[in-house]
Amino acid sequence: MLAGIEKPSVTFPAFFRVREVSGSFVVTNAQGDWVVLTAPEFKAFGEGTVERGTDLWDRLKVANLIRSEFDVPAAVARLKKRMKFLENGPNLHMLIVTLRCNETCVYCHASRADMEAVQTDMSAEVAEKSIELALGSPSPFITIEFQGGEPLVNFKVVKHAIEYGQRRALEVGKSIEFTMVSNLALMDEEKLSFLLDHKVQICTSIDGPEHLHDKQRKLIASSAFKAAVHWINRINQAYIERGLDPSLYHVEALLTTTREALSRGREIVDTYKSLGCRALHLRPIDPFGFVEKTASRVEYPREEYLKFYRDTTDYIIELNKKGEQILERYAAIFLTKILNGEDPNFLDIRSPSGAGISAIAYNYDGLVFAGDEARMMHETGDDTFLLGRVGELTYDAMMKHPTIRSLVLASNVNGRPDCVNCAYNPYCGVDGVHTYKTQGSISGRMRESTVSAVHKGIMDYLFEKIRENDPGTMEVFRRWTINRARDHFVQVPG
Amino acid sequence: MSTLMFEGFPKDLVVGDLADGSVTLTVDAAVYPLEAVYGAAYIFIDRCFVLLDRPKAGSVSVTLTDKKGAADAGALRQMAGEFANELLTQAWRQKIVEENRVLLETVTMQALAGATATPAEPSLDDLANFDFTEEAFDDPLGIAMSWEEKYKKKTPAEVAGEAPAEGAPEGKP
Repeated sequence: MLAGIEKPSVTFPAFFRVREVSGSFVVTNAQGDWVVLTAPEFKAFGEGTVERGTDLWDRLKVANLIRSEFDVPAAVARLKKRMKFLENGPNLHMLIVTLRCNETCVYCHASRADMEAVQTDMSAEVAEKSIELALGSPSPFITIEFQGGEPLVNFKVVKHAIEYGQRRALEVGKSIEFTMVSNLALMDEEKLSFLLDHKVQICTSIDGPEHLHDKQRKLIASSAFKAAVHWINRINQAYIERGLDPSLYHVEALLTTTREALSRGREIVDTYKSLGCRALHLRPIDPFGFVEKTASRVEYPREEYLKFYRDTTDYIIELNKKGEQILERYAAIFLTKILNGEDPNFLDIRSPSGAGISAIAYNYDGLVFAGDEARMMHETGDDTFLLGRVGELTYDAMMKHPTIRSLVLASNVNGRPDCVNCAYNPYCGVDGVHTYKTQGSISGRMRESTVSAVHKGIMDYLFEKIRENDPGTMEVFRRWTINRARDHFVQVPG
Repeated sequence: MSTLMFEGFPKDLVVGDLADGSVTLTVDAAVYPLEAVYGAAYIFIDRCFVLLDRPKAGSVSVTLTDKKGAADAGALRQMAGEFANELLTQAWRQKIVEENRVLLETVTMQALAGATATPAEPSLDDLANFDFTEEAFDDPLGIAMSWEEKYKKKTPAEVAGEAPAEGAPEGKP
C-alpha cells in the first residue's frame, strides 16, 4: 500500500486525494487545500497516528485534512471563492471579423482564407448583432476580442464594432474592454492611433527567434518577425508617450510550441525578454485547424513537451531570481489556484470549462459557437457546437442551449473518471470541445488525454518546487500569482 | 472471411475480420451496463459502421467496420483497444455521475443560472447550511467503522442478540 501504510484509519483523515510526486505525497481536499508530505508523514496521516501538538498535526489541521478538526465554514468559504467564476455568465466574446489572413502558418488553428476571399469578411450588420447578443450577458464586464484570420484585414468593421460597442455598453451600463489578436504586419499609424484612442489592447504572436518565427509564419516577400517586432516596439513606445506604466502596459505575445521549438526554450525566452514581454505561455500545439494536415511535421509526444516545459520554466525562474520580471502563464494559472485558492478564470483550465458559459465565438457569417475551438471545428466541417445565428438567437435561448448544458456537465472534473480521484482535481479542467476533437466524446478519456498529461506534468513540476521550498523560487511563485488589472483598457459607464 | 485474433485480447472476446475490415467484441452485460456500450459505440460512428447484437443471454456484441474498408490488422487492434478503453470510461463515468449527482447538478445549475441571471436553487450558499454533524450515509457494511470497532471480540450477550444471517444468491435471477 502507498507509503507502506498497514492499517488505514477511516476516522482520522478528512476526505482527501493523494498523488505521489518524486517520492513525496501531494495531499489535497475537495476545496483545494493541500500539504506535501514525506513518506513517513503520509504513513502517519493514513494510519491516523499523528500526535496532536506536532508540526505535522498543525499542517494537516491548517489544510483542513483532520476529520475531527474539520472546519466546515472555512471549507465552504474556500469552495465559494474558487467557484466564483460561476456567477456571471460569458464575458469573453470573440468576433471573427474575417478569415482572410496575410500570413500562412504551419499550425494555423484559425482556418485562414486567402486574401481574395472577401466573402469571409464580417459585415457591420453582423458585428452589431454579435455585440447585441454579447451585451445580453448578465456579466457587468464584457470583453470583445477581435480575431481572424487577421483582423486588420477587415479594419473597417473592427472600427465600426468598437464605436458601436462603446456606445451600446454605455447605454446598457456595462463596462467593456476591446482586445485584438493580430500579427501586426498590416498595422499602420492611422490604425494604431484609432486603436490607442479607443483603448484597444493589442496582442500578437511570437513563435520564438526570427528564424523559427519566419519558418513557421510565412509573410510573402517579407519577414513576419521583423514586422511584428517593429510594431511591438512602436506600440510600447506609444503607451509610454500616453503616460502609461510600461511595466503594466506593453504588447504581450502568444507562443505556439511546435516540434522545432522544443529544443529552443532558452532562445524563445530570450526573444520574449528582448521584446519587453512580461508573460510567456508555453502552450503546446492544439489539434484544431491546419494541424490536422501538418501534425506529422509539427506535433510531438507530450513527454518531450514536458521536458521542454521543465527546462524552460527553470530558466525563467532563474532569470526572475536575477531581477527579470517575466512569468510562465501555465505556472501562474495553476499557482494562483494552489497558493491563493482563487481561480484566475482561464477558460480551458476550469471545471466546468468556459465553453459557452464564459466564452462565445461569433463567426464572420453570423454563426455563433460555444467558444473559439468550437468555431474552428465548424471550419473543418463539424457543427456539433453550433448554437445558432446572430439576429435569430436570443441570449436566453443561447444559454439554455442543450449543447452548453452538456458541455458544462461533461467538463466537470467530478464527473470524469481519473479526474474524480486525482489530487489535482481542485486545480484542473479539460475542455469538452478538445476531448471531442481528439477522443470523440465531450467527457473524454483522461488517462489517454494529452491535455490531462500536460496539466498533471506541470503540476508535478510545481509541487516539486513547492516541496523544495527554495525561498527565491517561492518568492517568484508568489509574484506570479499577483494579478495587476490593466484598468486603462476597461471602459466604465458613466 | 479471414478470422483474426489480437495479441493482448482474449480470443473468445475479440475477433477481427481482415476481409471485411471489421472487429467484433463480445461484452459481458453483467460487467458493462448497456448505456455504457451505447456510449462507447456511438463515438465510433464517424469512422465505422457500428452494429450491436445479442448473441446470447447476458452478452452484447459490438461489430466495428471501418467505413473505408481498408483497415489492416494493426488498425483493427487499435479500434478494439480504443473501444475497450472507452467502454470502461463510459461505465465508470456512469457510476461516478450517479454518486456525484448532487454536486454535478448543483455546479451546473449555478453555472447556467449565473449565465442567465436567474437564481439557482440549490446554490453553493446552501452548503453553508448543510448539517455535516449528522450521519452522512447508511453504512450497513461498516466501511466507516474502525477495524477495532468492527472486529472487536463480542460479549456473549451481543452474540445471543444477533439475528441469523441470510444467504444471498449469487448474481441476479
